[in-house]
Amino acid sequence: MDPSFAQLLSEVQAELRNSASQLSRLKLYNSSKWSAEALCGMCEIPSSPLVKNFMKDSESPLRSRSHKNVFEPQQSPKNPEVGMDSSEYDLFLLASTLFDCKEFDRCGYFLANATHPELKFLKLYSKYLSWDKKTQESMESMLTSGNPKTANSSDGGVDGGDGRNVMDRLRNHESSNSTVLKKFQKSVDLDNGESTSVPLILKELNNYLSQDQKSLKTGIGISLLHYLQGILYKIQDIPSNAISSFLNSLSMFPYNWGCWTELLSCLSRSDESVLLLKVLNDKFTNEKFKVMLKFFKLSLFQEFNGNIDDFIQELDYLLSIFPNFAFLKTQHALINYHYMDYVSAGLIFDQIIKLDPYRLEDMDTYSNILYVMQKPSKLAYLAQFASGVDRFRAETCCIIANYYSAKQEHEKSIMYFRRALTLNKSCTSAWTLMGHEFVELKNSHAAIECYRRAVDINARDFKAWYGLGQAYEVLDMHLYSLYYFQRSCALKPLDKRMWQALASCYEKVDSIDESIKCYTRALQLSLNSDLDTTILYRLALLHEKLRDVNNCKGYMVKCVDAHQNTDGLISDEITKASLWLAKHEAKQKNFSEAYKYALGVTHGTSQEIEEARAIARECRKRMD
Amino acid sequence: MSRGNTPSQHNSTLAISPLVGNRTLQMQQGQQQRNNTHNQGNRQWSGAQRVTQTPHQSVTYSPLVQKIQNNASLATPAPIQDHGGSTAGLLASMTKNGLFGPTMPSTLRKVSVVTDLNRPPQSVLDGAGSEETLDANRIIHSIDIAQLPAAEKLRLWRHDSLMQHQYRTAEYIGDKVYSMTGDPNDAFWLAQVYYNSGSYIRAVELLSRNNLDTSSVMCRYLTALCLIQLKKYEDALDIVGETNPFQDPLGNHVKNQDGGIKLESSMCYLRGKIFAALNNFEKAKESLKEALQVDVKNFEAFDELISKNLLTPNEEWTFIASLDFSDLDDNEELIRSLYISRLSKYLNLDQVRKAQDFLIDEYKLSNNTDIIHSNVDTLFTQCKFSDCLKLCEEALEQDEFNFSILPTYISCLYELGGKNKLFLISHKLAENFPKHPITWFGVGAYYMCTNKISEARKYFSKASILDPTFSQAWIGFAHTYAVEGEHEQAVSAYSTASRFFPGTHLPNLFLGMQYLLMGTLPLAEEYFILAYDVCPYDPLLLNEMGVLYFKKNDFVKAKKYLKKAWEAIKALDSESKSWVSIHTNLAHSYRKLGENERAVKCFKLVLETAGKDTDTLCALGYVYLRMNRIGKAIDSLHGSLALCPSNQTAQDLLKQALDVNLSTVLDESHPLVVSSKIQEQSSRLVSRKRAANKLDVHAMAKRLKHGQDSSDDEGEEGDSMELE
Repeated sequence: MDPSFAQLLSEVQAELRNSASQLSRLKLYNSSKWSAEALCGMCEIPSSPLVKNFMKDSESPLRSRSHKNVFEPQQSPKNPEVGMDSSEYDLFLLASTLFDCKEFDRCGYFLANATHPELKFLKLYSKYLSWDKKTQESMESMLTSGNPKTANSSDGGVDGGDGRNVMDRLRNHESSNSTVLKKFQKSVDLDNGESTSVPLILKELNNYLSQDQKSLKTGIGISLLHYLQGILYKIQDIPSNAISSFLNSLSMFPYNWGCWTELLSCLSRSDESVLLLKVLNDKFTNEKFKVMLKFFKLSLFQEFNGNIDDFIQELDYLLSIFPNFAFLKTQHALINYHYMDYVSAGLIFDQIIKLDPYRLEDMDTYSNILYVMQKPSKLAYLAQFASGVDRFRAETCCIIANYYSAKQEHEKSIMYFRRALTLNKSCTSAWTLMGHEFVELKNSHAAIECYRRAVDINARDFKAWYGLGQAYEVLDMHLYSLYYFQRSCALKPLDKRMWQALASCYEKVDSIDESIKCYTRALQLSLNSDLDTTILYRLALLHEKLRDVNNCKGYMVKCVDAHQNTDGLISDEITKASLWLAKHEAKQKNFSEAYKYALGVTHGTSQEIEEARAIARECRKRMD
Repeated sequence: MSRGNTPSQHNSTLAISPLVGNRTLQMQQGQQQRNNTHNQGNRQWSGAQRVTQTPHQSVTYSPLVQKIQNNASLATPAPIQDHGGSTAGLLASMTKNGLFGPTMPSTLRKVSVVTDLNRPPQSVLDGAGSEETLDANRIIHSIDIAQLPAAEKLRLWRHDSLMQHQYRTAEYIGDKVYSMTGDPNDAFWLAQVYYNSGSYIRAVELLSRNNLDTSSVMCRYLTALCLIQLKKYEDALDIVGETNPFQDPLGNHVKNQDGGIKLESSMCYLRGKIFAALNNFEKAKESLKEALQVDVKNFEAFDELISKNLLTPNEEWTFIASLDFSDLDDNEELIRSLYISRLSKYLNLDQVRKAQDFLIDEYKLSNNTDIIHSNVDTLFTQCKFSDCLKLCEEALEQDEFNFSILPTYISCLYELGGKNKLFLISHKLAENFPKHPITWFGVGAYYMCTNKISEARKYFSKASILDPTFSQAWIGFAHTYAVEGEHEQAVSAYSTASRFFPGTHLPNLFLGMQYLLMGTLPLAEEYFILAYDVCPYDPLLLNEMGVLYFKKNDFVKAKKYLKKAWEAIKALDSESKSWVSIHTNLAHSYRKLGENERAVKCFKLVLETAGKDTDTLCALGYVYLRMNRIGKAIDSLHGSLALCPSNQTAQDLLKQALDVNLSTVLDESHPLVVSSKIQEQSSRLVSRKRAANKLDVHAMAKRLKHGQDSSDDEGEEGDSMELE
């Protein structure tokens, strides 16, 4: 192996080690988990002496401290890197245990006057969590009060009244949510004049950081403070500030996967993603940090399509470093899923399960795949297994919901989606899927509410936008549906389905020109545009409406010509196009042509066939 | 006792000792010299006392002992005076007080020594300067209580029991002394005893029976005081006179020599109190001001002026500037700073701060509740309620029932919704001070907080009955009507408040607000202007005025006032509810004036700080719609409807926006086409990443960076990207 590559590997390994221990010390367990998983998924590093050497150098502050802690307690707190004096260190120990016991208010109280960045981070983070917990609780009380109704309605079976009931409940939920949303910016009162709210925490944080800016300190504490700042900005709905905070944080401490995912969640348009990528490319030039950037690119690609070859290249590179990293494999599976290659995606998921059977993350996607592939038995197994691992995980609930949906038990499915949402309120896919379930139940209003929630949380979810468009289409509110299709189309401009939906919507509101444009665009995006008879036929009809006979005929001919390339598969459109052409030619007195087309009509309704035969007869008569 | 012997209006009561008036014993000797010696003796005695006492007990720490020491040193200048009795008499009595406690028996004895020594000063002014040099020490040791005449002994007894609040003893003995001697001074002291024991009417009768109230200023003062306590304000006014009888037409300022409060000033203060009770606030204000002008030491008058809101903020400042503190000698700066720290915090905040700093640095008063009170007021005026609350709690830790801080504390808790603490504090108050107005103000605030309006009204009115000059209770009372939408009652309550408290703009502001709500714009404007005259610095008022002109479709003026409000609130550096409403209103004015960009910026700011609100989003959507940014318009309108699905305006606007969206031609500049192009380009570019033709993208990246640096520009940046 290339020695420089080995060098890189060992560097990356050291960084991951450091980040796993540091982040878990500072209570960012998910990011820490990610780092540790990545560490264990790494390939063998060939030249071991080098590694050992390096390890010694790069021993993390914590490691060295805990080491010293055990053997030389006197020296322990005087760690220059951590920079806490002994009283701060004692305070840290207290705060850290309080945090672990989930006593956030206490933790914040004891750290009230702390100035060390890490302590400050712990304090503000626990304040934030306390606030989050309390808002969540106030929301949940509303949710549970609505729950008896859920039980009733699911017993009641499917009928119109039930649908209304469900919708009412959803409205309730909605209103409770919106009060929470309002509360979001307001505050959690402790009824004694004290209150916490995001602006307050943010203000304190900003004050601290602006003070600190002068000394230009760096370090994990400051980096995480920026990370927290970003999260708070995101809650306040100021994505631009959030992005810059996350970037600040990452430039100080790139091995914080949580920060990368938060950064990703701040983007809402694909053009933003392109620009952000450019910035990041300039920012992270060091090889060992580029590894993280590559991971980020993979995630970015899942959300905003890019170049697939590039993606594969990056993935291969990363897989060469982390051959056993479940996260990477999941990314691989997801990309297959997005490209609708369900079989390979399923296979990769099978591998992942073998590799790490108790990992529930992204298993809901696997259940989606199984659902689409219609493998109910496998889905049932997955559902059983997941609920065996942990019944109270959002992922498990989604899997079970999918299972019920596959069994056509939509109410139960909805119930499990709701449960999933209670467990994790920011689970977009659950909202979207619940919307789909409501569509199945023909309850468009409820579906719309669900999709709305989904796009509120994640504006990049084109499925939810598309679902909104469809639901409004059902309700004959085409202006709305047009807008939503536009949104989904803006997210997936290279997906012909979006353009098709947009076109049909324009058609319904009598904007023929725009409709034609959209269909044309869809046709361009179609993989084999000559064979897409649906679009061709629609285009032809639209041109007919505009009395543009030439273009109309052209598309009709293309449509019929597709017949040659479809291996004898004849769609309705081809039949209709043939019939139209036959009529048209007959009118133009081109009876031989007309006869040819009329003969081509071999499928379709009896009426069509009858008509075609009549034309054929007529034509033969005339030709003769 | 000769009439001329009682203190004149330029003196304080320091001049009269309980023992004054024993004519039979008086020695017609040059008391001037004697005074001198007495004082020396007194001083020495107190010094000696200190020495003897300190080792035994901590009595020295008692306030009274401190008083002795102070007085002892204060006494020195007294003999130089050419009129008035000596101060030593009262000083002696104070000295005695300083000693009560464990050393009581000996105390009395020693005191008597001193009093005996002090006896001579009761003598008349005209004593010739016969030189009598007495060695103070010798006197102390030579004079004994046993040598005193019987009446004098009784007087001592009376006085001591008065000081120990054993009023029945004092009354009993005093009555006997008076009957025995018939001396007017004894009558006065008996009246004093009556006053202290709350038998005001008896005191009045006693004093008027002897016509003392006409002959002696001191007695007149006491009579008036009693009448006020009896709520016989007209009679009291008769006694003190409608105007100051001692007023010097030339405006010559007579320096007060004895260090106490001039009786003239106290009389003026009484006059002010009477006028206030008679609801004649203009005269009350004048009298109280006069009281202070005569003697700045009259804190009662100052406190009355400030705490009852008789002066407008501007008046307060000009008045304090006009006061002469030179009487106070070396305490001049201290008292000036103390007074300044009490003044309105709407203006001259730097001076207040300076005064506070001075007090803290020079006099180490940083933990004194009055300094904290001043800070509390500052924070409250700036609407920084949580900081204010913290400070209040600090102050209340030292002094749980500090009635100057409690009203602010309660208001803070109300503002912050601290129901629980309100409950606790009002219960504590009700247990300990069931008759204090603040107690019921707290209870009212609690009910207001828990939204039980009628209960709240009951308790607010109780508080305002207990103390009709308690402005917060009045306003709270009026608020209860306003909350229930009872405009008429609210208006009448507010207007009563505005009559009672001419120095605060709040009642007028609230009146204006009520009229604004009722749609009577001219009246509202009038009241706002009244309030504006009183206090042009309050951002809330400026905000309301902005709203008023907005409603009158005078957007330029509205903008002017709102901008002023904005400046004011910026200066206060506060992020409270008012901050949000000022910004929202300003944004609406911009919208009406067609300054779209500014309106958008303002609305965005509001949304970022205050959270999502259906109306704000709706207005933002409208502005976007007007600017033809359809996508953004639809987004914000949707946001608005998500929060409140029944928002009709938003629905209509949304429909309009969607119509416009439909009619937008799908050409090269349509956002959809643009975004699809960008993405196509990007995927192509990414694939040719190493080919170096990325000029365009580089520029874009730079702009994104720029956008991150200055978050404010982000909106525009995003839009320009859209339009590319």
